[in-house]
Amino acid sequence: MAGLSRTVLTLVAGAAAGLALIGTARAQDKTIIIGDQCDRTGPTQIVGTTLCPAMQDYYNLVNSKGGVDGWKIKGDEIDNGYKVPEGIEAYERQKQEGVVMMTLYGTPQTVALNQRLETDHMPTTSPGFGISAAADGNRYPYLFPIAATYWSQGAAAVQFAKDKLGGSLKGKKIAYVYYDNPAGKEPLVILDQLQKSEGFELRTFAVPPPGVEMGAQVLDITQRFKPDFVIAHLFGRSPSVLIKSMKGAGYPLSHMVGLVWASAEDDIKAAGGFAFAEGYNTMQFAGAGDDYPVRQEIKAMYKKDGKEPPATMDNTVIYNRGLLQSSIQVEAIKNALKISGGQKPTGEQVKQGMEQIKGFTLGGLVPPLEITASDHEGGGWVRIFSVHGGKLVPATDWMHGYRDLVLNTVKGSE
Amino acid sequence: MFHREAGVFKTNYAADMALYPLPIAKWTMAAIAGLFIVIAPLFFSEYAVSIINLILIAIVGALGLNILVGYTGQISIGHGAFMSVGAYTAAHLVVSLGWPFWITVPLGGFAAAAIGAVVGIPSLRIKGIYLAIATLAAQLIIEWTINHVPWISGGTQATIQLARPSFFGIQLAHERQIYPFLMAFVVIAIVATLNLVRSRIGRAFIAIRDQDIAAEIIGINIFKYKLYAFAISSFYAGVAGALESYYLGIANYEQFQIDVSIDYLAMVIIGGLGSVLGSVLGAIFVTLLPIVTRLFLESVGGAIFSYSDLLSIIPNLRLIIFGGLIIFFLVVEPDGLNRLWRNIRNYFRIWPFSY
Amino acid sequence: MPEFDLSFTIVLLVNGVMIGLMYALIALGFVLIYKATDAINFAQGEFVMFAGFIAAGMASTVGLPFWVSALIAIVGMVALGFGLERVVLRPLIGRPVIAVVMATIGLASVLRGVAVVLFGASTLAITMPVGDMPIDLGFVTVPPVQLVGAIVSIVFLVGFTWFFLKSRTGIAMRAVADSQTVAMAMGINVRRYFALAWAMAGVVSAIGGIIWGAMLGVDNQLALVGLKVFPVVILGGLDSVLGAVVGGLVIGIVESLTAGYFDPIIGGGTKDFAPYVVMIIVLMIRPEGLFGRRLIERV
Repeated sequence: MAGLSRTVLTLVAGAAAGLALIGTARAQDKTIIIGDQCDRTGPTQIVGTTLCPAMQDYYNLVNSKGGVDGWKIKGDEIDNGYKVPEGIEAYERQKQEGVVMMTLYGTPQTVALNQRLETDHMPTTSPGFGISAAADGNRYPYLFPIAATYWSQGAAAVQFAKDKLGGSLKGKKIAYVYYDNPAGKEPLVILDQLQKSEGFELRTFAVPPPGVEMGAQVLDITQRFKPDFVIAHLFGRSPSVLIKSMKGAGYPLSHMVGLVWASAEDDIKAAGGFAFAEGYNTMQFAGAGDDYPVRQEIKAMYKKDGKEPPATMDNTVIYNRGLLQSSIQVEAIKNALKISGGQKPTGEQVKQGMEQIKGFTLGGLVPPLEITASDHEGGGWVRIFSVHGGKLVPATDWMHGYRDLVLNTVKGSE
Repeated sequence: MFHREAGVFKTNYAADMALYPLPIAKWTMAAIAGLFIVIAPLFFSEYAVSIINLILIAIVGALGLNILVGYTGQISIGHGAFMSVGAYTAAHLVVSLGWPFWITVPLGGFAAAAIGAVVGIPSLRIKGIYLAIATLAAQLIIEWTINHVPWISGGTQATIQLARPSFFGIQLAHERQIYPFLMAFVVIAIVATLNLVRSRIGRAFIAIRDQDIAAEIIGINIFKYKLYAFAISSFYAGVAGALESYYLGIANYEQFQIDVSIDYLAMVIIGGLGSVLGSVLGAIFVTLLPIVTRLFLESVGGAIFSYSDLLSIIPNLRLIIFGGLIIFFLVVEPDGLNRLWRNIRNYFRIWPFSY
Repeated sequence: MPEFDLSFTIVLLVNGVMIGLMYALIALGFVLIYKATDAINFAQGEFVMFAGFIAAGMASTVGLPFWVSALIAIVGMVALGFGLERVVLRPLIGRPVIAVVMATIGLASVLRGVAVVLFGASTLAITMPVGDMPIDLGFVTVPPVQLVGAIVSIVFLVGFTWFFLKSRTGIAMRAVADSQTVAMAMGINVRRYFALAWAMAGVVSAIGGIIWGAMLGVDNQLALVGLKVFPVVILGGLDSVLGAVVGGLVIGIVESLTAGYFDPIIGGGTKDFAPYVVMIIVLMIRPEGLFGRRLIERV
């Protein structure tokens, strides 16, 4: 009994200590807080464990250079484990801490929070996932995809296939391999329309979660359908399984393109390494590789502290996406500070700051984005990088495909 | 509760079975309820209220699962899927027919109950772990169906947006406004469960849990009552799902996947199987655990680790603590928080004159 | 309806058999524990993942050769099995099924957290000394890793069948599973056999982890293969080694054929839940699975 009550007391004390903290507001002057939701645990942690440190690195870099107009940036990060209730709780907490903008992670979380974003006037980025129709800034005033949505990605993939197959898709066969969840099915809207207008034959191959095995689908693709091009829209462990199985079945990887979440170095490594996956095409919304000044600055920053740059930096695809995300946040805050005249900006002002982003390239890492009040996607730019000679090499310039069709779909999706 | 009892003499069965054996117990309960309903939303921050709202939804779901697992002894790993049935039903009724919440929420519950009863059919022949896996199958099949049938899912996103509930023309948009709405359902759910488990049906459930063959021999129609248990439990799940979709303004099946089912199982086990108070405590505990762990680590861990290290440590430590606590409770206190609470109460009941 | 194509069907069947045997390998660990201790291990996938992490971690970060790191993984998993049995499972002996289920679910969560803390979150590779290029079997090509998996599965099947039927230890284990009280009365050290069962499951998980890890790469996602185990073991019968293999084969073939023939019609991935449908149908006819032992219940 005595031991028992002690346990209880400890638990109660811990809970009380925790609850007491909830109430305390953090008064820090000259700090602008950005709320980042992360997924360092859960099904997509392979992304979050690289992306989120990258964002923190960028904030530190900005702060080490004196911040934005004298304001320090703090990234208040909360891991939501890809769960919706935890996402809600994290959102409410970050709101209470006075964040002026947020980054979400995960389509379900984005969808679930959308109503709150509008009530709270909280500009929020959802790069590379979330609601495709959110590219329309008039309908989703506070949601900023900032990177190519699934619709733009699908269109760009078809454009790339067209260029690769000699400029015409008439009579060609394209296989679309997708993760069987709502996000996986989203590009189909675009692909179905293009199938008619471009005259190619589209067949879809669903990979049900968790997608650790897809021998049957690969056999179906390579032995029965025999497509001219394969578009893969997979997540988590499944991209590497597909690359490995397709290569094993003798399909030329140069006739495959993976959409943005099937495109990281980790996927290639897990598939059997760069030499094995030679030729595989990856779609990126942030530049891949190491040749960007901002990465060198971050490395220098670590060296100055007497530390080695973290190993996560080697996963350049995901790391650079983190840099893209955080740099655009900081850029929006920079613009917002101009609007507010140096005062701490409101959510509304950050939204306007976001809608003025133009000509910001971060040494080529960021595409030629042009975010406006009506286009929150900033143009839907992607760039294809191919696996070549042990690294990812750009195969195209920043591009987008069938922009009119995508924009029409966004408009017509009400 | 917090009162001493003395000179209580029960002279009939009704008094013995009463929910509150003493008048003072009734008053304490009323006072606590009043405290939560009136005071909490006024004095807590909006963030704290949002946490309480999540807890309230969890309580409804946990009560339902406890009826099935704790009272009837049937394991279900499909609770999340039943919640999604309620959520989509309510969302469709709101969006296409514009019905108010007091119709849609119960109907969401009934839809889930119907599906739950179907899922319960194998319990006629299958028991224990085999049944648990059959409910896991139900979870996956329901998810798949929602994902692939457009008239259920409402489109490729499998997402239906619905307006927040309105009450006499007032839309309950803010945390503080939606709090009493959820609280009302929680009170109804608690009272209904308390009454259910002391009714004929509830006693049949307990008999089946304790020894199903014996129960059958004394004349309980096992199959019928197992189906009841599945249906009633799913009804609660459906209501919880509908409430959650009202709370979020959205119905999306990806928020009701296996991990949700497992969280609810953890609630009823940590709280205490076969106990209403246990379900409530379990829901509070499991919902608060990750939040408190993070807050605690953020305040304490800051002294040892840098902020960026801390960010990578906290999430994994939360996983470890969550799993560790489940194991701890199972090994050390199998009857859960409910038992802990009773031990404390019994201690103070005779305090300071303990012998 | 895609037209029936014999050679394609054969290819699908072979693929299903290969994958089925790999499922069986993981299912074996599950069955061993249930057979000897009546415990349901919901952390089987995490066991496989953890073993993969040890092997990959030793090979890639420490730089040990494959066979050494594989050996370390096996030894590590045996130790883990012993330890967990002692700390977590032994206190739960005789408690309701749900308690053990939940404890292993908690264990799964702990293992996932610990693995990332110890080995990091990025994907590690296990390179088996068998090459990457598929082996041509004449009518179908098979990745060498799958072939190794299939062979190991069959070896284990034969080995464990012999073990439980003929060896003294195996017979003692069956006695323990049958009735702990009677076994104790006959002078069998029940606890020792419980620990032994967990250690054996550790070995099987370690080999499963190495082979699946070589196929998929090792990170937290590897634990997801654990989800594939449930229809396999339930279909085959929870306490049957043969059942695990037959269950694995059936599920592998069902998955392969549904993906090849149903998906194009329905327009969605059916191979995830098709095994569960098969499983429920079988359960309605034989509640204890295909090869499971029928329990006689008394009041």
